[in-house]
Amino acid sequence: MKSSNQRRAVIIGGVRTPFLRAFGDFTPLSTIDLGAAAVKGLLTQFPIAWKEIDSMIWSGVVLPSATVNVGREILFDLGLPMEIDAYTITRVCTSSLSAITLAAAAIERGEADVMIAGGSDSTSNAEVKMPQSLVHKFAPVVLSPKSTVKDYFRLLTQLNPKKDLIPQRPAIRERLTGELMGESAEKMASRNQISRKSQDIYAMQSHQRAAKAIESGRFASEITPVTLPNGRKVYTDNIVRGNTSLKKLAKLKPAFAKNGSLTAGNSSTLTDGAAAVLLMEIEKAKALGFTPLSQFRSWSYDAVDPTDQLLIGPAISMPKAVHRAGMVRKDIDLIDIHEAFAAQVLSVLKVLGSDQFAKDRLGYDKAFDTIDPKDINIHGGSVALGHPFAATGARMVITMSNELKLSGKSTALLGICGAGALSAAAVLEAV
Amino acid sequence: MNDYMIQLTKNPIIQKLIHKMGLPKPPVELHRNNNPWEERPFNDQPVVIGQICKSAITKILAETVVKGGGNPFIENDNTILNIFNEVGHGHGRLPQVLVQNELPENLSPKILIFDATNLQKPEDLNRVYTFFKNYLRALALCGRVMIVSRPPDTQNDISIAATSRALEGFMRAMAREIGFKGATANIVYAAPDAENRLEPVLRFFLSERSAYISGQPLHINNRVISDEPIPKKRPLDGKTALITGAARGIGAAIARTMAREGAHVIIMDRPGEDIPAGKLAAEIDGHLLFCDITEPSAGDQMYEKIEKLGNGLDIIVHNAGITRDKLLINMKHEIWDQVLHVNFRAILRVNKKLLPIMRSNGRIVCLSSVSGIAGNRGQTNYAASKAGVIGFISALAPEVSEKGIAVNAVAPGFIETQMTAQIPFATRLVARRLNNLNQGGTPDDVAETITFLSSPGAFGVTGQVLRICGGALIGA
Repeated sequence: MKSSNQRRAVIIGGVRTPFLRAFGDFTPLSTIDLGAAAVKGLLTQFPIAWKEIDSMIWSGVVLPSATVNVGREILFDLGLPMEIDAYTITRVCTSSLSAITLAAAAIERGEADVMIAGGSDSTSNAEVKMPQSLVHKFAPVVLSPKSTVKDYFRLLTQLNPKKDLIPQRPAIRERLTGELMGESAEKMASRNQISRKSQDIYAMQSHQRAAKAIESGRFASEITPVTLPNGRKVYTDNIVRGNTSLKKLAKLKPAFAKNGSLTAGNSSTLTDGAAAVLLMEIEKAKALGFTPLSQFRSWSYDAVDPTDQLLIGPAISMPKAVHRAGMVRKDIDLIDIHEAFAAQVLSVLKVLGSDQFAKDRLGYDKAFDTIDPKDINIHGGSVALGHPFAATGARMVITMSNELKLSGKSTALLGICGAGALSAAAVLEAV
Repeated sequence: MNDYMIQLTKNPIIQKLIHKMGLPKPPVELHRNNNPWEERPFNDQPVVIGQICKSAITKILAETVVKGGGNPFIENDNTILNIFNEVGHGHGRLPQVLVQNELPENLSPKILIFDATNLQKPEDLNRVYTFFKNYLRALALCGRVMIVSRPPDTQNDISIAATSRALEGFMRAMAREIGFKGATANIVYAAPDAENRLEPVLRFFLSERSAYISGQPLHINNRVISDEPIPKKRPLDGKTALITGAARGIGAAIARTMAREGAHVIIMDRPGEDIPAGKLAAEIDGHLLFCDITEPSAGDQMYEKIEKLGNGLDIIVHNAGITRDKLLINMKHEIWDQVLHVNFRAILRVNKKLLPIMRSNGRIVCLSSVSGIAGNRGQTNYAASKAGVIGFISALAPEVSEKGIAVNAVAPGFIETQMTAQIPFATRLVARRLNNLNQGGTPDDVAETITFLSSPGAFGVTGQVLRICGGALIGA
């Protein structure tokens, strides 16, 4: 291995499973199954000798409590060498981007030459938990070897059917504010004065672009088919509505507030899916005969105050990442922003155009840029494609890396917001 | 120490009863904030801002409101609207224009601000009248009213000077009218070259930390030089504060509040107070210093302690004080002397000793009293000492302002403490009602104010006496 300061991590490529609406065809597949399908697809498309793989960083948001280290289980399920190290991270919607940049950092640090990074989520398999009070009542009796039948009977008399036996719904609310993410985005829409119409127009753009990309086969090499337990194969995304219109979108009822502007049509939906990316040290890639697609020029992970504007983070992270890359706005060719909600994307774009925001929040003199919503997400985004929390970042890295190659452009800027008011951005450049 | 009237009125049945019987409205329990300083003290509260026309502080007002988390409502004026738009844009808090000066239905603004800095002639007072007449009725429970003006004494034009002084009378009267709903009104006089010092002051006055300050003027000047950043949170991080008489009551509240905001607190009190002081020190991780403040060596002992801690000294709060009430004709020399010694002479002596080790950007706050301003029967000794303190800070302030040290006093009115609990029942009953808010203050009200005056953001305030009295009817 060369000394770490000369090493460069590059992205060879990536694939994802189709993204399906939760409680659809993927319901029988756990997050481990989905992850395994993505990694299997990756290794099929980029046939590398298994012994060359050093390590894997996986990610997930809705983690199965019995096997939190999903990545390691994926290796087992695929029969990959037991010697490949794997760990699993969770960093809300920035999870898989984080897994990928961690892998890039590890390669450049000299920890590994070949790495897989990605993420998966099965929201259909979010665990429904029994109340903790039930656990606290049962555990002492069940775990004690001295417990008798009498103790078990006594236990039954202590149960409170209402408090102890009704399972808890998985929490999708912010723990700090108690708000659903949609409610927070609704607040952002009204504070930044983002109209229902502009959200619908943006959502339509996302759907139409995604549909076009699917039709034209642009996503064909990025998506790996998944075989269901019943033997049927799923080839394509099922959330995209290419035939949607403003009229149809305008008919939808507000989803989060009585007179709100966010609807099911202009928000991303609960989705099952997975995505995986192959990274290598550049010399290693050459030695193994792989052509790199892209590499990271910079990245930035940030956090803002969840009680203010929960999903505004990309407006901090994106200019910071560009700054860190030693670039300015005009050096960036493509921009891809994760669309949790159309309102959130439009709010982020709005403050990116504000000098005051740049001054107060970033300490820069000038606003990043006034960006037309038409100029971002050229192949649609999470509103149309769906949003398996820990697969979205990897999806964006894959689509943008391929886009750099296909279009001959040189740089792409990614931005992702997440729960807990986290955010991430990265600058990818063609190799 | 509880105000039974407030406790009583929390009961809905009694509330109804009082209403039915046509009794006067009982006092409202004030909204107070004794949590750590936050990024946005007026989070999501509607704020109505009135201006005669665009002024030098329009942008500062916009930034203060928007950064503080308030949602601005402004009257229709294009230049003002543009400024608020520009500022609000970056924070997702765009201004809403009041069409024909009417508030949207069911909107109760928490804060009303009137910018009178470009008041030109007596006729301009009509604008002030119209603004408050329009919106005052809708003001929320425990709302805040603030007028910002130019200090009358910096005006060369007699008519402008007279007019800006008129605002104070207007404000004091208005404060009495809105007190029944726990709301307060105050006026800030910002010198023309001290506008950039306005924001931190407004952040305090418009927040729920200033709950018991009403009907007061405050002057902002540019005398004190500051070379430190102004944090919005944990303002006293890394600072060392010496608080005299900190074992109990108001002193302990100050110690707790300052420690909460990040200060290393030296709890100084008499050796006899070792038990409460020790408990407090354990609670806030403070340092203890026991000495008798009337002893000539007290200053040396403090000096030594601070030297030993090695962090220098940033804040002194001269809080130690006693009362020994007697009518003058019955007052023995002993108690006359004791009160003056503890409350007045010791402060001068200790302060002189400690001044050399105070770091720049330091703050000195003395506890005066409304009694020192208005005088109280049976308190010739106490009133003399507390008035002396006011003289002390006014004289000291210009001397140390170049070192970056601000010196102020606070004058509490009726505060519910052990000291006031000893006032005879009937007197106490009446005393706590003799103010706009119809109730006594709490030690925390004083502590929050002193913490503000000790913060980096208070560098525009020096040589001032700020009353924390709920707008007491006496001593205006």
